[in-house]
Amino acid sequence: MTRKVAIYGKGGIGKSTTTQNTAAALAHFHNKRVFIHGCDPKADSTRLILGGLPQETVMDTLRTQGAEKVTLDKVVKTGFHDIRCVESGGPEPGVGCAGRGVITAIDLMEANEAYTPDLDFIFFDVLGDVVCGGFAMPIRDGKAQEVYVVASGEMMAIYAANNICKGLVKYAKQSGVRLGGIICNSRKVDGEREFLEEFCAAIGTKMIHFVPRDNIVQKAEFNKKTVTEFDPAADQALEYRQLGLSIIENDNFVIPKPLTMDELEAMVVKYGMCD
Amino acid sequence: MSCELKLKERIGTINPIFTCQPAGAQYASIGIKDCIGIVHGGQGCVMFVRLLISQHLKESFEIASSSVHEDGAVFGALNRVEEAVDVLLMRYPHVKVIPIITTCSTEVIGDDVDGVVTKLEEELLQVKYPDREVHLIPIHTPSFVGSMVSGYDVAVRDFVKYFAKKDKPSFKINLITGWVNPGDVTELKSLLAAMEIEANVLFEIESFDSPLMPDKSAVSHGSTTIEDLISTADAQGTIALNRYEGGKAAKFLEKRWDVPAIIGPTPIGIRNTDTFLQNLKTMTGKPIPDSLVRERGIAIDAITDLTHMFLADKKVAIFGNPDLVIGLAEFCLDLEMKPVLLLLGDENAEYENDPRIKALQEGVDFDMEIIANADLWELEDRIKNKGLELDLILGHSKGRFVAIDNMIPMVRVGFPTYDRAGLYRYPVVGYKGATWLAEQMANALFTDMEYKKNKEWILNVW
Repeated sequence: MTRKVAIYGKGGIGKSTTTQNTAAALAHFHNKRVFIHGCDPKADSTRLILGGLPQETVMDTLRTQGAEKVTLDKVVKTGFHDIRCVESGGPEPGVGCAGRGVITAIDLMEANEAYTPDLDFIFFDVLGDVVCGGFAMPIRDGKAQEVYVVASGEMMAIYAANNICKGLVKYAKQSGVRLGGIICNSRKVDGEREFLEEFCAAIGTKMIHFVPRDNIVQKAEFNKKTVTEFDPAADQALEYRQLGLSIIENDNFVIPKPLTMDELEAMVVKYGMCD
Repeated sequence: MSCELKLKERIGTINPIFTCQPAGAQYASIGIKDCIGIVHGGQGCVMFVRLLISQHLKESFEIASSSVHEDGAVFGALNRVEEAVDVLLMRYPHVKVIPIITTCSTEVIGDDVDGVVTKLEEELLQVKYPDREVHLIPIHTPSFVGSMVSGYDVAVRDFVKYFAKKDKPSFKINLITGWVNPGDVTELKSLLAAMEIEANVLFEIESFDSPLMPDKSAVSHGSTTIEDLISTADAQGTIALNRYEGGKAAKFLEKRWDVPAIIGPTPIGIRNTDTFLQNLKTMTGKPIPDSLVRERGIAIDAITDLTHMFLADKKVAIFGNPDLVIGLAEFCLDLEMKPVLLLLGDENAEYENDPRIKALQEGVDFDMEIIANADLWELEDRIKNKGLELDLILGHSKGRFVAIDNMIPMVRVGFPTYDRAGLYRYPVVGYKGATWLAEQMANALFTDMEYKKNKEWILNVW
C-alpha cells in the first residue's frame, strides 16, 4: 500500500528541505520507494534529490506544448536512490492562478498513471498556507491520507499550523484525510520544544520529531544534496533517519481540534514571557 | 491537390461553432431515466445551455443549477451543492441519478465536488433519505478545457465508470450513439431490431420527440436506465459510433471490464452504414437480413436519381462536431460532391491521427482545407474576402447568417438546428439518414435554382 503524505507549513519554515531530507532517509536507511510531487509554483521542492538539476515543470510543459504533450518521461525525473520527482510549477508571481496549477498538475499525473502502486511513499510538498481550494487538492478524496505540518517554536509558524489544521478539519470528513503530527524544524528559540508540545497536545496530535538546527543542512544544500547523501554518518542524517522511522511506524492519525484565536494568543503570551 | 489539416491562425474567436464542456455533459445527462443534473457554477451555465437544447428539441426538461454567486466564489460554494441535492431530492421524488457537473468558476476555486459527494452519501442520504436509491456522480467539465464535444465524451465515460459492474455475461451489446438527435436513435434502434440485436443504448433520447397528451403532461426525459448502465460491463462488445463522443467510455469498458470495443465509423452515408452493420455482424454473429439489403437498395436508388445530375461537383463547406463533419464529408465524396472546407469547432491533438482524416488527406483529388479550433468567421471571411465559391453549406443554425447574407443554400444538420422545423425527428445516420441527407441537399439546391433563376427549368423535365 502506498502511503500518500502531504507536507504543509508556513512559508520558509523548511518544508521542502524537510521533505527531501526525509525522503532521502526513507530511501537510504529504510529502503523505501519514494515519489515527491512538488506543489509550489516556485518549483524548488526537488533540487536536493536531483542534485540541482533544473526540472521542467508540468505547468511549463502545459503552457508551451499543451496538455497532451505532458508525458511522464518529460516531467518525471529520477534522483538520489531512485526517488522520483515531479514539480507542478505555476505562473509568475502576481498573475494567473497557482491553485488551479496544482489541481491541473495532479490531475495530469493521475491521468498519466505516475503514482504507481509499487511506491511506498508519495510526498506532496505544498506551498505555505492552504490559501485556496487548489492548495487543498493534495488532501482531497483519494489523494493524500496523512498530513504532517512543519513548524517551529516561532509564533507565526504556530499560527500557520493552526490555520492549516482548520483547512484539514474541513476535508477530514469528506476525504478521510488525517493529521499525522507536527514536525518541529527547530529555530532554536527559547522554550521551543515545550511550546510546540503544548500546542500539539492542545490540538490533539503529537510532535512526531524534533529536528534540531544543524548547519550541515545548509552545507548540504549548497552542495545540492540532502544530508543523507552528503554525509550519511552525520548526526543530522540520523535525525532524519529517526523522523523517517517515526513516520513509518506512526499510527496516530487524528482530526485535529484547531485552537481559537484567544486560546492561541494565551499560549503565545505564556511562552513569550519566558525571558 | 492537397488536403491540409491546420489550426485557425487568428487569435480570438468570432462566432464560435461550439459552446463549452458543461453543455456536452448536460446533453448526455438528459438521456438517462430519472436523472436531473446539477450544474455547479453560475446560473448562466445552465440557463443558456438549457435554452439551446430546448430550442433544438422544442421541448421542456429539467436541469438544476447550484447558482454560485460572489460569496461562493470567495468562500467556496460546496454548501450550495449540498443544498441543491437536498432540494432536488425533496422536490422530485422520482429522481435517482444526479450528476454534479462542474464549470469554470467552481473548478478554478477548487471546490472538491468528489469530497462533497462522499460527505453527502455519509450524511444527507443516510439520515434523510435512507430508503431511497440515489446516485451522485461528480463530472469534471471546466469550460476552459476542451469543448462541448469533449464534455459529452467525459460525461458518458463518467456515467459508465460509475455504474458498470459485472454480473453474468449477456448477449447484449453496448451502442454508444454520440451526440445525435432523437431521429438518429430511432433509426439506430430499427437497424438493431432488424438484426435482432439487443443493446444498451447510450443514450435513448427518442422520447424528446414527445407528445402533448390529454392529461397535459409534456415534460421529456431520457430512457436509458440505471440497469442498462450497470450491465454495460456484461456486454459482449461496445460499438461507439463517434470517436470523440463516447470513445472514452468504450475504451474504459475495454480496459476495466474486458468488453471489446469498436470505435467508429460514424454511420453517415451508405459506406459507413455498411461498415457499421458489418461490425454488428462480426460482434454478434447475427446475419444482415434481406430487409436491410432492401433498405439499402431504396437509399441507393434515391441517391442515384440525384447524384450525377444535381449533386456532382457541388462545392460544400461543412462545420460542426468532428465526427459529424467527417461523416458528412465522406458521404459528400461518395456523392461526387466536393467538400472543400471542413471546420471543426475545437482543438484536439487526436485529429491528426484520425484515420478518417488521414484517408481524406490521401484520397481527395481537389483542394480541401480542414481547420481545427475554427469559428464561423473562417467560413465568412473566405466567402467574402478570399473568393471561396460555395454551392452549399452543411452545419447548425448558428451559421444561418453566413448562408443568408451570402445567398448560399444551407442544409441544417448537427446541433443546434432551431431555425427549421422538426429536424430532430429525422436521422442522418443509417440508410434512411443517407436518403434524407441527399434529398435535403438536392431540395436546398433546387430552391436556390428557383430563387436565382438558375436553370430552374431543368426541374420541369427531370
